Amino acid sequence: MRLYRIALAVAGGMLIALGAFRLVTELDRPDLVTLGLWLLVAVALHDGVIAPLTVGVGVTLTRVPPRARRYVQGALVAGALITVVAIPLIDRKGTQPAVKAILLRDYAGNLALLLGLTAGVAVVLYVARVLRDRRSSTG
Amino acid sequence: MLGPMDRPGWWPRFSSPLRSTAVTARIGRLLGIGFGICFVTGMLSHYQYGPWSWLPEPANPVWAYRVTQGLHVATGVALIPLLLVKLWSVYPNLFRWPALRSFKHAVERLSVFVLVSSALVQLTTGFLNTLNWYPWPWSFPSTHRYLGYVLIGSVLVHVGVKLPDIRYGLQARLSEADVLTEVPWSENPQAHSNAGVVAPPRMPALDRRGLLLSVAAGIGVVVVTTVGQTLTPLSRLGLLATRQASKGPQGVPVNKTAESARVVDLAQDPAWLLEVMGPAPFSLSLAELESMEKAERRFPITCVEGWSVGADWRGVPLIDVVRRAGGDAGSAVTVTSLQPDGPYNHSTLTGPQVEAALLATHLNGERLNLDHGYPLRLIAPNRAGVLNTKWLTRVEVT
Repeated sequence: MRLYRIALAVAGGMLIALGAFRLVTELDRPDLVTLGLWLLVAVALHDGVIAPLTVGVGVTLTRVPPRARRYVQGALVAGALITVVAIPLIDRKGTQPAVKAILLRDYAGNLALLLGLTAGVAVVLYVARVLRDRRSSTG
Repeated sequence: MLGPMDRPGWWPRFSSPLRSTAVTARIGRLLGIGFGICFVTGMLSHYQYGPWSWLPEPANPVWAYRVTQGLHVATGVALIPLLLVKLWSVYPNLFRWPALRSFKHAVERLSVFVLVSSALVQLTTGFLNTLNWYPWPWSFPSTHRYLGYVLIGSVLVHVGVKLPDIRYGLQARLSEADVLTEVPWSENPQAHSNAGVVAPPRMPALDRRGLLLSVAAGIGVVVVTTVGQTLTPLSRLGLLATRQASKGPQGVPVNKTAESARVVDLAQDPAWLLEVMGPAPFSLSLAELESMEKAERRFPITCVEGWSVGADWRGVPLIDVVRRAGGDAGSAVTVTSLQPDGPYNHSTLTGPQVEAALLATHLNGERLNLDHGYPLRLIAPNRAGVLNTKWLTRVEVT
């Protein structure tokens, strides 16, 4: 295992060095500074905003009774992942010339539809669970 | 020496039993495979722009680039939610106490920073590029490639550093594996490795299997609703797809319009001539081109942005023009557009594509629309869309 680890680290280190070298030598200085800012801000935005928000939602959810919470959590996870991809589409809708046939759809409406479906599936699963529990407690 | 048990009372404490190396390793494995796919297909796409003379781009299968570039973009889009889940699963690691315990630890954390930052920026900018949104000053293709080297290198380093954890995570049962908290397992008295057999963590609400199923459902919806821009049968489900090929003129979307290429007048000039240069140079008017023997071929057109659509093209085989100019199937052929500037106002064909290409005048049964390259454009199989030069004015045979 030690040999694999060293080989991976060496190969990876060389690729990082290659990429960094080409970025540093081929990008103009101001572009390089902007790219550096993007890299820093991306991590800061994730670690400082997105992740704490997720943790906050998780903590709030502990007030929901466990049997229902399971389905709320599942729907929120799936829904959030869909929403992340949909947001830029909603923002950019209709910004391009018609011949490009790009960004023509009603992304906000479609997102609402997909989130509604997600919530619907969660509700159905929850109701099925409640009925199953009731049957097993009476039967 | 300071250990995690000395962390101050206000230091964050993570207790969600959903987080576990068993979860992280399973998500990480998919993420690693995905980044591998993106890297390989990305390099294949890069190769389109400058193949070595001894290894020209093949002409068959005609859909090769359609598949590899469609896969590149579809995988990249799916990796956005997957990366967020992966980062959620290891978020407590950000709160190790003490934050830096040795030089080695500092190097490891720096390598993780490089990995996370390059992954976030690479996936975000790649996705925004498919929306034709460029809120950055640098050139996208080269920066995307160099950042790709950094990213795939960081992935390799990370796998090397984490190999023992990956092994534990993939071998451990999902429901029983240690909870991942801000205290590393090696220093946690309650971890399997320190306490022997311990009771599996209690998961009263969503459990880890349920979490992975929810993630799979969310990403599954993203894939099914976006991939229709490449997989035509799924285009009706493309609720979140960027391109709708059928809405483009003549059933094919346009990226560069005649107006933005500044060729509107030049392309419609009745005195238009195709200049053919080579050992036996000549020129052709549109009427002369029309009188030559035509061929009809069905080639997909594939954009580097991942969308593609099959289309019927009609025109003069490029090789006929090349032969008349004194060249043959072994010639290198450079075609040049009326477009006055820009890196893609010309492109070069070598190898099998010279014989397979058409100088097209018609698309899907109609004369080429001005935005599709009227009066004459190049179309070759397995060739990036932007290299199928439009509004041709010159063919050079060497």
